[in-house]
Amino acid sequence: MTTVENEDRMIALTAATAALGLADIKRVLPHRYPMLLVDRVTDLVPGVGLTAYKAVTANEPWYRDLADDADPAYPRTLLVESWCQAAGVLVAWAEPNPDVLSGQVMLFGGMADIEFSAPVLPGDVLEHRVRLMRALSDTVLFEGESLVGGEPVLRVGRVVMAMRPAEELSPHDRQSR
Amino acid sequence: MAAPDIDGRTGGPAVSPVTGSAVSPVTGPVTVLEHTGSRAVTEVEADAGQQVFPGHYPGFPIFPGVCVVECVHLGAQAAPPVPGVRLDLVAVQSTRFQSPVLPGDTVRSEADWAADGDGWIHRAKVRTTRGPAAQVRLRYRVVEDR
Repeated sequence: MTTVENEDRMIALTAATAALGLADIKRVLPHRYPMLLVDRVTDLVPGVGLTAYKAVTANEPWYRDLADDADPAYPRTLLVESWCQAAGVLVAWAEPNPDVLSGQVMLFGGMADIEFSAPVLPGDVLEHRVRLMRALSDTVLFEGESLVGGEPVLRVGRVVMAMRPAEELSPHDRQSR
Repeated sequence: MAAPDIDGRTGGPAVSPVTGSAVSPVTGPVTVLEHTGSRAVTEVEADAGQQVFPGHYPGFPIFPGVCVVECVHLGAQAAPPVPGVRLDLVAVQSTRFQSPVLPGDTVRSEADWAADGDGWIHRAKVRTTRGPAAQVRLRYRVVEDR
């Protein structure tokens, strides 16, 4: 879809824009503490994109045993995870399935062209901007970026989410692997 | 190449702690099995005690894909391309996940380093005992000491 088409679609769907609090997010994502890394969602336009927020704090468990003089930068892998969970909200909003044991589950298929800039520190509030690039029958592609105080900290070239039957990951299947 | 481990013993693979020295969702430690020239083979245990499992997902623990990438990143830092160099992760150039990593798995990263301008590319194939788990390509810049 071209940028112009995307903008037209955005305008057409403005009336459907939604804002989600934590309870709404927990209804659509299976992630829980300490791996639920989205606090709030605004400007959700189904099939188009959303903005999500996550506050970083030194009270997250990854900081528990950190030496006092060690670098407090937030792990860049968790920055990506938080962004991907925001993308997951966009996918799951239409068909919520917080139960990972049944139905269609969303798997992280891969990513490309992920670039980091300034470090993210405790006290920062991440603003994730997620845009849906393309949706196929069982695969969804996203792009976007994350900002702190208006400055970019992450650029996401492409993230691939794949919808798969839960049975493919079932405990029974695990035993046979 | 045998090197002293964290207890000062020699003869076995080098083991680097993670907890305390950096903020990481993976508690480590990292074992360096091979570190010769541009090649680096490292392992991290995705043991059931990893702190991410209770929330990913409750009753159905799967090691998060980003934690697989983190294991590669920790391995890269434990087996750098130049001794003593400090590296800053600037890009995940590509990652493809091939199969899930589950509690009790050993995440083995078989990687090579290649110079890329003023930085380094770390290209890894990740395996568990069940087979290929992911392919990961990371880019680092060298942090100059002041």
